[in-house]
Amino acid sequence: MSAKPAQWLGLVTLGMMTAAIFMVFVYVPTEAQQGIVQRIFYFHVPCAWVAFAAFALVALSGTFYLWFGQQVWDDLGYAAAEVGMLFCTLVLITGSIWAKPIWGAWWTWDSRLTTTLVLWLLYAGYLMLRVMAAEIPQVGRLAAVVGIVAAADVPVIIVSVRLWRTIHPAVLVTRQGGHGLEDPRMIATLLVSIVAFTALWLWLLMLRFATLRTKTRIDNLHRELLLVEAELADRSIQARLSPST
Amino acid sequence: MDRRVTSNQKAWAFTAILRKDLRLELRTGESTITLVFLSLLVLTVLTFALDAPAGDPAIAAGALWVAMIFAGTIGATRALIAEWQNGCVRALLLSPADRAAIYCSKLVASFVFMALAEIAAMVLLVLFFNLDFGIRLVRIAPVLAMGALGFAALATLLATIQVQIRVGDLLLPLLAIPVFVPALIAGVKATNAALAGLPFSGFTQWLKILGACDILFLAGGYLLFEQVISGD
Amino acid sequence: MKALPLEARQVGKTFGLSPVLRAVSLKVDQGECAVIVGRNGSGKSTLVRILAGLSSVSAGEALLFGQPARKLQPYDRRRVGLITHQSFLYSRLTARENLEFYAELYGLDHRASRVTELLERIGLASAADERVSSFSRGMEQRLTLARATIAAPDVLLMDEPFTALDADGVEAAMGLIGGALDRGCAIVITAHEHFQFAQLTFSSYALVRGRLSPAPADSKAEAAVQHSAAAG
Repeated sequence: MSAKPAQWLGLVTLGMMTAAIFMVFVYVPTEAQQGIVQRIFYFHVPCAWVAFAAFALVALSGTFYLWFGQQVWDDLGYAAAEVGMLFCTLVLITGSIWAKPIWGAWWTWDSRLTTTLVLWLLYAGYLMLRVMAAEIPQVGRLAAVVGIVAAADVPVIIVSVRLWRTIHPAVLVTRQGGHGLEDPRMIATLLVSIVAFTALWLWLLMLRFATLRTKTRIDNLHRELLLVEAELADRSIQARLSPST
Repeated sequence: MDRRVTSNQKAWAFTAILRKDLRLELRTGESTITLVFLSLLVLTVLTFALDAPAGDPAIAAGALWVAMIFAGTIGATRALIAEWQNGCVRALLLSPADRAAIYCSKLVASFVFMALAEIAAMVLLVLFFNLDFGIRLVRIAPVLAMGALGFAALATLLATIQVQIRVGDLLLPLLAIPVFVPALIAGVKATNAALAGLPFSGFTQWLKILGACDILFLAGGYLLFEQVISGD
Repeated sequence: MKALPLEARQVGKTFGLSPVLRAVSLKVDQGECAVIVGRNGSGKSTLVRILAGLSSVSAGEALLFGQPARKLQPYDRRRVGLITHQSFLYSRLTARENLEFYAELYGLDHRASRVTELLERIGLASAADERVSSFSRGMEQRLTLARATIAAPDVLLMDEPFTALDADGVEAAMGLIGGALDRGCAIVITAHEHFQFAQLTFSSYALVRGRLSPAPADSKAEAAVQHSAAAG
């Protein structure tokens, strides 16, 4: 895979992230009730979107891997899980940083944060499986199954946790059309930030995926090498057995 | 030589394997006794650990579900591990048995173990918490049954994964518990509501979630079991 | 042209990075017997597992009755018998219960009488109702032979079937094998040293570090095997 697409995406990411950071720290006005701390929302929400999207990708790659059997899907799934886990962790951390000054507690068991915690545990389980089962030839299939079941579960988790409790401030566009963001600059900043983080995600994903693909290629070459060595060993033994030839 | 090839294939394999498993369990009774004691231990530990006032019903529901999860984890593993000794799982895969039939038989075996543990837990609950035998307990039974069914379905699938990994001891709880969270939330809420005397109509939303989980786990297990048991 | 019961075409298998089998080709027709000799680690067990459809191939094809072994339909799976180092027996069940289980799994009828007759033929009638855990290795091996042949398979794959058998056991085994060949079964036997059987005609092969080659049934094959053993 040529480095060009990754480089372009890297540049785009750099540009978007710069724009986003500028908008978050300079452009957007401070929110009336929550103060400066509220700015972390513009990082928190995009990370959450990425964390969930990445998990969907894990499940999708897993499905393709089970269906088509090609190693590329397995590599994509693993890369998506690793990068997704990173963003999921960031959601929890930014959520904590945001919660402390506003509600006085590092952790609030509100519905969105709790759902993200469960998602984090799902990521952790998937990655633990990958690590523990690394030696087994069918690890890709096992991981794919786990990814699919876990991802199918996520909607149910969201519904059940939401019914269970919610005190998250209403700062997102709801179906009714009302939202907690009064200023259009806030909406603009949020959108730019979402695009920037998506670009960041895709760029990191591309890099990680390329690394796994390279490893796969190296393994394939290694296998071919060992095969050739075995053939050569055969011939040398044969030569010794029938020296007249 | 008789070679019936009919759609009864799945039924044979299912009953043959299930009967074999139940016979094995009846012979030793190990798993049943272990799981009943487990329920007792869980309830005792929770009573002390949560330091709740004696007989507080608030922890009763939670205790039942904690006991269920522990029993389910162990039960599912036990239902499967016998097949990996002496390589019997390979014999099952080689046989005409449908993979889904193997899954269903293991699932039912796990469910039976869990049900026994739950019944023991409920009996202990009545004793420890001075609950009435009454309509409230009768209402809990289907809730627990749905929970046990869902967990058995999920744990059977995941235990099959765990049993193939050398150091995979903790993998089953690590994978199963987060996935089971919605059923756990709904189940405990429904159990609490039932213990408080509400009729089923009072907590249908939780029952619906529990039902959705059951369908999801059963469908997932049924469709994906072949992928996890086939080996390399 | 009717498909061969068993065929391997350029089968290759890698475990991790190392090649365990390389371009293995083999054809066995009805009523034929192939004996594969190879030292430990030559890939015999892997080959048998692949031929049975329990492991996938990395290259080439393993065919049973013209179908890929890995994707055999239940009807065809019933026609395959397998013996490996693992006994596929449930230690806590009796010999009779084990055989009845497999008979039920394979959809056979008149199970009780079939099992009794088979136990007699294999010389285990007196131990029929003892648990397998109390069996000697030789008795276990005989029971394994019975288990593998109970459904009268058309393909019989045997990985070192004669280890741990005493003279009587070998005779009983040969009886089963001879009967199977007469019935038109295709048989593959692996062994780590050469054996002579006056009453059997078989084709001889040597599996050396993953490569299969025909070997005349005499000392030359042994020499080649030992030489490569020395060469490592």
